[in-house]
Amino acid sequence: MFRNQYDTDVTVWSPEGRLLQVEYAMESVKQGSACVGLRSNDYCVLGALKRSVSELSSHQKKLLEIDDHMAMGIAGLTADARSLAKYMRNECLNHKYVYGDNIPPAVLMSDLADKHQRTTQTYVRRPFGVGLLVAGVDPQRNSCHLYQTCPSGNLYEFYASAIGARSQSARTYLEKHYESFPASSKDELIVHALQALAGCVSGDDELTKENGSIAVVGKNQNYILIEVEELQPYLDKLEIKRNDDDDAEEEESEDAEAMET
Amino acid sequence: MAFRSKPLRSFGPTVIPHGQIENTEGNVTLGKIDHGVTENPYERRFSPYDFNGGTCIAIAGADYAVIAADTRLSSGYEILSRNMSKLHKLTGKCILGSAGCKTDVDQLRSVLDIKMKVYQHNHRKPMSTPAVAQMLGNTLYYKRFFPYYAFNVFGGIDEEGKGAIYSYDAIGSFERTAVTATGSGQAYVIPLLDNVISHRNRTDEKRDLPKEEVVELVKDVFISCGERDIYTGDQVEIAVITKDGIETIMFDLKAD
Repeated sequence: MFRNQYDTDVTVWSPEGRLLQVEYAMESVKQGSACVGLRSNDYCVLGALKRSVSELSSHQKKLLEIDDHMAMGIAGLTADARSLAKYMRNECLNHKYVYGDNIPPAVLMSDLADKHQRTTQTYVRRPFGVGLLVAGVDPQRNSCHLYQTCPSGNLYEFYASAIGARSQSARTYLEKHYESFPASSKDELIVHALQALAGCVSGDDELTKENGSIAVVGKNQNYILIEVEELQPYLDKLEIKRNDDDDAEEEESEDAEAMET
Repeated sequence: MAFRSKPLRSFGPTVIPHGQIENTEGNVTLGKIDHGVTENPYERRFSPYDFNGGTCIAIAGADYAVIAADTRLSSGYEILSRNMSKLHKLTGKCILGSAGCKTDVDQLRSVLDIKMKVYQHNHRKPMSTPAVAQMLGNTLYYKRFFPYYAFNVFGGIDEEGKGAIYSYDAIGSFERTAVTATGSGQAYVIPLLDNVISHRNRTDEKRDLPKEEVVELVKDVFISCGERDIYTGDQVEIAVITKDGIETIMFDLKAD
């Protein structure tokens, strides 16, 4: 009801105690195409559905390397995300130069969240219109982590998460399967990520090697990006899995019919 | 105490007016600022540089590059370490070998690593060997008026798969060559390499050497070098770079 009067500046509270500009920025994240992240004890996998403007254009990159031990997936304003990536890369290099080791992801994410918050409490700036999924390996604790930031400056750590358009289907899939992730192998994690992404495509589209992409970091695995040709073997495993699930569903429905008299 | 331009007893060289330096034998050498590095164990004023010794060589082949350096780290007449590598892998296809002042060498490498990572972020691929060579030259020249005391040889595989090595001076002048050597044992090693690799002053047919023969040659070269140069010895670290990767061989030298 009061939305329109209190949404002009980021520094204005609404009567319900909300910062509407920040919430509008979070809408921008929901408009971006889907990005999923999941982790086991040894690996952290990010998957993204790359959107293309038209058949003639290329697909927009959504997975970026931050450092050997950190990857980032984005949903929302790509330009904002690239600016943040530049900042994060710089921080990583600086830390490596000064302390001789990779920056712990938790430290960088904490600084990143503060950077987001600063934009919500000043007149002259606007919130970042992008949600980030950051996968990283902590060098000292030797552990994998997945973090999510949003324009409000909130920082959460996840076992598995999904952001962007139609990401609820991915989240549902991940909720169903997340308990099996810690023991999963790298390849199994990748197939899970693709399976989660497959539910986020719109309408008639499907997940192909052109519009899917995967990034992996791990304890003994520097950042790698799996795209196009290299992605096909994992997509093939996906087809088989989907067929198995379909067969299982058909059997279940047949049993149900048999019980009805 | 007032600064004396002349010590009470003439142990070390004195600075004579007109910029000439007299050493204890009474010989006069022309205008050099002695950083207390190799000629004079007594420092007359604070020198930001130390000379940590060692020799590096590099040889380029048709489809390989060999880069080798001894592993002795010294200061003055003392050995600080018998097992300190002078080779630094920059990408999967190129290695930087540096002699000189170790702290400057380490700093140069940190700076290069950062610049190369930034390149990799922006270009989404590792730097090619000729690109690194150019960047190293530029990085050294950046400190033209307070140089990195690093004498570099840089070797790797270029974009066509051929061996590429580059030799540098401390302020960034560089050249792509077939053979190079730098460091304390440079003068002992270059004549030998000129004859055997570059085929100078020989009457027999020149032939392309396979990498295994070159590695054996490098071992002999370092044995000779270690005989006469006090700063070279202990072990040689030999890296053979091909398009398939980097192979490292350690070879023992005399520890005296």
